Amino acid sequence: MTVARSDGTETETPDFPAARQHLVTELIRFAAVLRRDGVAVPASGTLDAARALAAVGLADERRVEAALRASLLSETADGDAFDEAFPTFWHRLRSGLDRIATAHDGPSPEGGEDGEDRGTDDAAPADDSGDADAEDPGLLDDAEPPEMDADGDGDPTVRIPTDRRHAAGDRPTDEQRDERDGRRYSAVGESALVEADVPVPSKAEHAAAERFVDALSSLPGRRRRRSPTGPLVDARGALRASLQTGGAPIDLPRDAPTPSELRCCLLVDVSGSVLDTVDRSALLALGERVATSARDARVFLFDTDFAEATAAFSDPARSPADALRAAEIEWGGGTRIGHALDELRRTAPHAVDRRTVVVVASDGLDVGDPDLFTDGITWLADRADGVVWLNPLAVSPSFEPASRGMGDAAPYVDGLFGFAEARDLAEAARQIERHGLGGPIGYEHDPRRTGGEPEGGRGRAGDETESGDHGEGGVV
Amino acid sequence: MSGELDGGPFASLTEAELRERFEAADYVADDRTVTTVDLALRLGRPLLVEGPPGSGKTELGKTLAEGFDTELIRLQCYEGLTAENALYEWNYTKQLLAVQADEGTVAGGAGTNGAAGAAGGHSGEPDTGSVFGEEYLLERPLLRALRSAEGRPPVLLIDEIDRADEEFEAFLLELLSDFQVSIPEYGTVSASTPPVVILTSNRTRGLSDALKRRCLYLHVEPPSFETEYEIVRRKVPELDAAVAAEVCSVVERLREESFLKRPGVAETLDWARAVAALRHEDADEPLAADEIERTIGCLLKEAEDVGRVDAELLERLRDAASAAPERVE
Repeated sequence: MTVARSDGTETETPDFPAARQHLVTELIRFAAVLRRDGVAVPASGTLDAARALAAVGLADERRVEAALRASLLSETADGDAFDEAFPTFWHRLRSGLDRIATAHDGPSPEGGEDGEDRGTDDAAPADDSGDADAEDPGLLDDAEPPEMDADGDGDPTVRIPTDRRHAAGDRPTDEQRDERDGRRYSAVGESALVEADVPVPSKAEHAAAERFVDALSSLPGRRRRRSPTGPLVDARGALRASLQTGGAPIDLPRDAPTPSELRCCLLVDVSGSVLDTVDRSALLALGERVATSARDARVFLFDTDFAEATAAFSDPARSPADALRAAEIEWGGGTRIGHALDELRRTAPHAVDRRTVVVVASDGLDVGDPDLFTDGITWLADRADGVVWLNPLAVSPSFEPASRGMGDAAPYVDGLFGFAEARDLAEAARQIERHGLGGPIGYEHDPRRTGGEPEGGRGRAGDETESGDHGEGGVV
Repeated sequence: MSGELDGGPFASLTEAELRERFEAADYVADDRTVTTVDLALRLGRPLLVEGPPGSGKTELGKTLAEGFDTELIRLQCYEGLTAENALYEWNYTKQLLAVQADEGTVAGGAGTNGAAGAAGGHSGEPDTGSVFGEEYLLERPLLRALRSAEGRPPVLLIDEIDRADEEFEAFLLELLSDFQVSIPEYGTVSASTPPVVILTSNRTRGLSDALKRRCLYLHVEPPSFETEYEIVRRKVPELDAAVAAEVCSVVERLREESFLKRPGVAETLDWARAVAALRHEDADEPLAADEIERTIGCLLKEAEDVGRVDAELLERLRDAASAAPERVE
């Protein structure tokens, strides 16, 4: 086996076992990273990849990439995850091999093969930026090496996380964003195909989404059953029982909600006004979580059009961002919520029933027919067990549901929450866990808003006056 | 598992050689394609090629056969394709005739089996073993690929595997991993020289993991402007170079639109040929908007897509075309 030094010349690897060990370790790590990112790497993928690398050699980055791509991937959609993970792999591989080569040339403190093997396995290469990533593949994404090899062929295609754009004000001010700012609060804008920079949800975002979905799906339904320790008296049962005792209610049976799992239906507004304000990766994490863990979950995307995207979110092998692209949903271009609800009612009426909690992620800036919207939201509220509205604008301390769409919807919504990033989901989950859908929940009960937690400029004290009954006047 | 570097017919192949052969066959391939095909040949693994229609997947198989000067055995998959159509069939007519002849003449003409001769005189019982011999076997593409003569292995192109049923896909597994098939009445046929197997898929349905695991995977993307220009220049030499650049530029611009069916390379070539055919003396005139409009049927194959081509889009296509000649300088 030969390896290339960073000056591009091929040299016989001096320490063959160590180099081999390093290569195999890195290859397995790379496959693990890909699998963690949802790539369906075949079971024998690493074996094939090792054979393929033995065939093409390690000198040329592009050939190595092509070989690994051919042996590790089997889905077109996985290409992005591969592109993202490959530069790190390549850097680690090369720097490790270079280190082994130099360690052999120079004086080696231990000299023994074992010592070098150990170094290959455990310690991160000396010139690598993060030592932490050696232990946890989960951190690899963040630990992108700051510079590539000196030979210049490795243009580091590091993915820079998209800046979060949210309504509370901490928006980036680079020029690229400026033109989009114009349509920030307007419900109309030009349609544009989904951009490639949709970020991958982080662990924290997944956790928040998971908590939110769990909170929703474990909500008690309307059906109740006899329970000796239940919180309420079963009035009808008590009446029936009293017939045996001549009308005197001696036995007071109690009941509790039947433990059940609610179904979930997620409606995501993909108009520009929403996507510019909400953290896209949190949104994707939510969609993924709903599609994969809630029972009979359905995910729909709408702006001026309406499309189902359940399959795209529920397949672990596909990235939902890709799925959005594949579905050719266009980000931006205004919202016709009423139209979307109407489409939902016509095309997928079974997606919503009395055991379904509907989550709408939209800013409520409706540009469609107001009557259609009212019809739609009343139908939805009537039919569903509950409606939770996630409004990216509601994270702002001065938010009130004053826009036409939101004003129309508010009476029918059980909980109206702000949603710009993952922790907003966690907060919504906390409230739902504590109070249930019928309780006092909503953006106005957010302690960050009412309690004056200062961070992010979002807390605003003395705000209680407007905290009306938007959250409570919903479906009972 | 035939994954080792075991000195097969392509063990000494280098990428440069492969590239030369592609060049000779006028197939313009990017680095990734060349490396992946090279790997597939050297490791002796089937190659699964996916990509949008018209991106040159089938062409890759043809080119390989042409480049290595060997036989191309093509199996076009379709719904309802069975092993009988793809692998082998018994020649029932011949079998029947043989059995009848066996009844008439003592110790049958079927005679591949000695038992038939031994049965001599007793013509009542036809020998069942005798009519399942070599000469009653009708080879279908897969069997032909396995049993082809020594020397250069043939190229087996299994086209549009996603159209075949899942049962057929499962049937292919033995063939793809061990290059052998089992025929119950006949025995196991294995290839002396494994064929080069190319599978293509349009992704109309997902393929099974078992199949994907046995193949190397290549995704063919729509080519870049430069690559496409190169392809058009090679395949449609009669078209003026500047006009070819305009053609590619217009197609590149069209692919940005969200059409139901985006034009592939095949459509580009069709269109380039159409443009070349419609031009006679004014061969090097730049593309005009009405010319694009008249021939747009070569590129867009859906009525809805054609309907979306309005004056505004034509104007933008026209702009793209006029910017093209500088790009190829």
